[in-house]
Amino acid sequence: MRWIKEIETFWTLFTAPTVWALHFLVCYVAVAVYCAKQGALAMSFETMRWLLGGITVAALAVIVLSAWLAWRQWGFGTEVPPHDAPTQDDRRKFQGFATLLLSGLSFVSVLYVTVPLFFIGACQS
Amino acid sequence: MSANVPLAPAPEAPPEIRAAQEERLRKVWTTPSGWRYWTSVNNTEIGLWYGAAAFIFMLFAGLLGLMVRVQLAVPENTFISADLFNQAFTLHGTIMMFLFAVPIFEAVAIYLLPSMLGTRELPFPRLSAFGFWSFALGGVFVCGSIFFNAAPNTGWFMYPPLATDKEYSGIGADIWLLGLSFIEVASIAAAVELIVGIMKCRAPGMRINLMPLFAWYLLIVAGMILFAFPPLIAGDILFEMERMFDWPFFDAARGGDPLLWQHLFWIFGHPEVYIIFLPAIAIMAMVVPTFSQRPIVGYSWIVLAAVGTGFLSFGLWVHHMFATGLPQMSLAFFSAASEAVAIPTGVQIFVFIATMLAGRVIFSVPMLFGAGGLAIFIIGGLTGVMVALVPFDWQAHDTYFIVAHLHYVLIGGMLFPVVAGIYYYYPLLDGKKLSDRLGKIAFWLMFTGFNTAFFPMHFAGLRGMPRRVFTYPADVGWDWFNMISTIGAFIFAAGVGLVVIDVVRPKKKQPRCPENPWNAGTLEFIGSPDEKWGVRSVPVIHSRYPVWDQKDLVENISAGRYFLPDSQSGQRETLVTTVLDARPVQCLRVGGTSVVTIVAALSLGGVFIALTFHWWLVTIACAVITLGAILYWLWTGTATIPESDDYDVGMGVRLPVYASGPDSVGWWAMFITMVGDGTAYASLIFGYFFYWTIHDDFTGGHAGPGVFWPMVALTLFVIAWGAMLAARSLNAHDRPRLTQAALGVAALLSLGGCAAGLAGPFAYEMDPTLYVYPAIVWVVAIWTVVHGAVGIIMQLYCLARSLTGRMTARYDMDIDNVVLYWHFMVITAVTSFGVLGLFPLVR
Amino acid sequence: MVVGGAIIWALVVGLLLYAGHARREPITARKASWLILGGGVAFPVIVLFCLLAYAVWLMPQIRPFMPALMDNKPQIEATGEQFWWRLRYLDDGGNTAFETANELRLPVGERTTFRLKAADVIHSFWIPSLGGKMDMIPGRDNVLSLEPTKTGVYRAPCAEFCGTSHALMAFSVIVMERPDFDAWRQSRIEAAAMPQPAHPGRDLFFRHGCAACHTIAGTPAIGRIGPDLTRIGERQTIAAGTLANTKDNIARFIREPDAIKPGVEMPAFGMLPDGDIEAIAAWLGGLK
Repeated sequence: MRWIKEIETFWTLFTAPTVWALHFLVCYVAVAVYCAKQGALAMSFETMRWLLGGITVAALAVIVLSAWLAWRQWGFGTEVPPHDAPTQDDRRKFQGFATLLLSGLSFVSVLYVTVPLFFIGACQS
Repeated sequence: MSANVPLAPAPEAPPEIRAAQEERLRKVWTTPSGWRYWTSVNNTEIGLWYGAAAFIFMLFAGLLGLMVRVQLAVPENTFISADLFNQAFTLHGTIMMFLFAVPIFEAVAIYLLPSMLGTRELPFPRLSAFGFWSFALGGVFVCGSIFFNAAPNTGWFMYPPLATDKEYSGIGADIWLLGLSFIEVASIAAAVELIVGIMKCRAPGMRINLMPLFAWYLLIVAGMILFAFPPLIAGDILFEMERMFDWPFFDAARGGDPLLWQHLFWIFGHPEVYIIFLPAIAIMAMVVPTFSQRPIVGYSWIVLAAVGTGFLSFGLWVHHMFATGLPQMSLAFFSAASEAVAIPTGVQIFVFIATMLAGRVIFSVPMLFGAGGLAIFIIGGLTGVMVALVPFDWQAHDTYFIVAHLHYVLIGGMLFPVVAGIYYYYPLLDGKKLSDRLGKIAFWLMFTGFNTAFFPMHFAGLRGMPRRVFTYPADVGWDWFNMISTIGAFIFAAGVGLVVIDVVRPKKKQPRCPENPWNAGTLEFIGSPDEKWGVRSVPVIHSRYPVWDQKDLVENISAGRYFLPDSQSGQRETLVTTVLDARPVQCLRVGGTSVVTIVAALSLGGVFIALTFHWWLVTIACAVITLGAILYWLWTGTATIPESDDYDVGMGVRLPVYASGPDSVGWWAMFITMVGDGTAYASLIFGYFFYWTIHDDFTGGHAGPGVFWPMVALTLFVIAWGAMLAARSLNAHDRPRLTQAALGVAALLSLGGCAAGLAGPFAYEMDPTLYVYPAIVWVVAIWTVVHGAVGIIMQLYCLARSLTGRMTARYDMDIDNVVLYWHFMVITAVTSFGVLGLFPLVR
Repeated sequence: MVVGGAIIWALVVGLLLYAGHARREPITARKASWLILGGGVAFPVIVLFCLLAYAVWLMPQIRPFMPALMDNKPQIEATGEQFWWRLRYLDDGGNTAFETANELRLPVGERTTFRLKAADVIHSFWIPSLGGKMDMIPGRDNVLSLEPTKTGVYRAPCAEFCGTSHALMAFSVIVMERPDFDAWRQSRIEAAAMPQPAHPGRDLFFRHGCAACHTIAGTPAIGRIGPDLTRIGERQTIAAGTLANTKDNIARFIREPDAIKPGVEMPAFGMLPDGDIEAIAAWLGGLK
């Protein structure tokens, strides 16, 4: 089962961006369906903003978790890049560092996507 | 199964043995001569043809662009008619996007990747050839249409209902839809090839932290293709069904919605911009370290940028739809993602600058084009940040400001780096450099011409000049900007012409340059242009820049002191390695020269072309030939039982030749293909729910397929899937008779599932031309049933393989891959029939 | 924003040129990493965040949430057709007060609300001097509000490619003081009840069947296919922003609309005697 293990470790690189993608999709679909089906839902726009705010917090939490795992894999920054030695250890550290960077980018991107929740308060186009 | 890699090269073999090895290798990898030259599948030939074809298409589209510029040079010009103008700009955009920008990267990747990864071939060379021939035929078909005044004339984005209006667009829209669907198939084929190649076929020891950055970029881009192109294919299907059979997917009068097309098109269209841009930046990531004479600073940052861009680029599509009247909140989400994507892009630029600062830069022609391209691209990036802001875009959208922006992005971010790549990599073709002098002149012509042509467009756009106008009035203050743009366009074209002259001019008398003319640190330049085998032996890599860091690497490779210095089997061989640490696990035999790829591609092209003209019988005949060719290809060329299971790959290592399941490249290819297929399917389901959101009653009062038949179909497909699992297990336990019985039962169940799937909409007499609901139900049902039919063919194929003894308990690749297909199939069937049968009840 | 962009461009390209300069000491890898972190990450993250927040805050300022739009009770309904604009002024009950084409009049200093529709293909409604654009999509009613701040005459081109003569589809906008606007609006409402006097051109207009497609208030012409021609003489342009409004141009357009505007629906009337065409043109041009 070496393969399974390898794939899992390869895919962790994409955890944080995947969380971003899911968060983005949930926000977009929620607003699209809510605004298309206005009236059919007994929920105010305000409530939905709070709901999406809650989902944002959850998404950020998962990203932070992924960042912490990556940080651990990177050895808590005991060694600095470039991590270009031909060893399994350096390969892991490289993965950890890249994952950490991606978690950072995803964190910022989720925050960006949250900005509209603060300023826009109705369905109108 | 993996072997520990010996670090040191093997002792040198005596000269006569080496000569014999070289003779055998040469024979195995030889490219045929005469007309059979075109049956070659070698990556250097395919890459070259691919690139040349894409470049020729680009020049043609460039001429169309010049025509557009001449027409707009002065107000109220009558150089070409309105209709010809509309054909010209539509074709200009279409060709540049579909026939140049995407394929040129496939070309470069196919050409360079094997040598860059230190290996002999990509895992599926025949698939590359198939992709190329599909592309060439589709491209000629689409380009040729303008000579018959039949080119698409609705803009490269093909918005319905203009593009579904047969009176307006004639056959042009069909040519666009079918011709490009065909090319999209080729792109997905390339994506499969590249992902498997980069993940599984690197030189031993090339762990993922040592991979050339080009490979990292291409891996991400290929993944993006897998998620970006299928929605367009789904859209094409809906579109063509409307044009051919009047199914009203985009007809508002019958419940359809033109906006669904815009969603599907731009879910493809925006990632596509990055699919174009990232490979060009990947070339820069190879060029910059070479001319800075040091390793790249911030390797991990580049990986971050590539992966980050790959993801974020899927959250941008609505920024092409800011003026369509979606809720402001939705627009703002996409605006946010569009701003966020600028971050990884900025990181890449600063990585290059930092690398240059940390090294000593040699400013040669490739660097000139690279740096010039960056300077242009940054302007495009900054205007991109502006138009991503919704209020600004409400003003700038569909004006010449956008025309300027997109050309700054694509020419600065893509064309200039590609020309840099041409100057950088040209010596690989025949060991000669392009001219420095011509290159510099060409650069300055292109650079000044480009800015003269496109910078004024910003102002024309801000002054309110809309896009896609064939003429404009004299008194609104756009005339001088347009005149300057036209002059600039010709200067720019002169520069491009000079590059072409430099490439095609005869170089017989020019002396050869050294083998690694720029002293690059990566492996592209180690092969000799005279030999078709790629690398003489597959090296062990332990550095990001092995040519700089590994002592005597090139000599040892040429001396055959690494892996696979020989081909004892008389077949083309390359190594398969593990994903993360690149330990060798298998000696893969790849397909050689064959005519079957051309037959398959041309007959598949025949299907699409015949459909355009509604020649139904020809369509069916071509489809049968395609199926036959593909089955022949698989039967004779894949999962062949080897003469021995244990093969000497050199350096004292023995590896298996046959692998199945997740260890095999075929399984991966199936998996990746099905991910793309699943994305297209998800887009159709998205369409189903899209209609639900826009209508109070999305059935429009029309009968659905009922519950009974969909549930029967669902059940039969689930049992068929169970039978396939049983067949695989029986085969693994070496029970051929029972395996065959299980396969037969599975095929019968699938057949029943297909019939039941169609029975629902049929029994309730759902007429797909009346309203969009019956139409989308039919499409989902047909999609599922067609996949069921393909599943049946696969089951019968396995049955035949088992009966002829080509599939056994040990050699079980066929059934492993088919079961993988059936995993996807059962998900599709459950989703389709669950949604069709039950959703109308619960909504 | 443009100035900021120019400064950023100059800085980055300057750095690029400096980096390409051969005679300088290479910096250390550590410093280079800091450059990536500062220039490539920190600076863009902050600047982009501020820009984004400002722009998103601006959106509901530019297009405020208006009850009239939420309830779908706008003041004007505009419909894009190949290749002209049908404009309906609505009364408080949402019914058509009167219809016109290709020339919009708006009061200055107040927000006017629109409903935007398309009859055939997608068009886009855009008055560059007054605000951003909004698409007109078949099957969808889009809404928009605009607030002109200066009186004057503005040009408004179609902003979505809509077929052969997309380039020749524009309308003019006249922004007027409120009293002038009210007077004009009232007179347009009353026009239907004021019979148009006899004119040779008027008879020819009916004899040659023009009334099958065009409406002219105060006459029996009530065709709905083509643009409303009531008071066409007072418009800035004819043929949806294509030609100056002169009698010669009206005659030209009647004679060969397809040559002026390729793909137009209106058939050519070149077979009519020149005198007839000129008489019709003279009458139309005089409708004010």
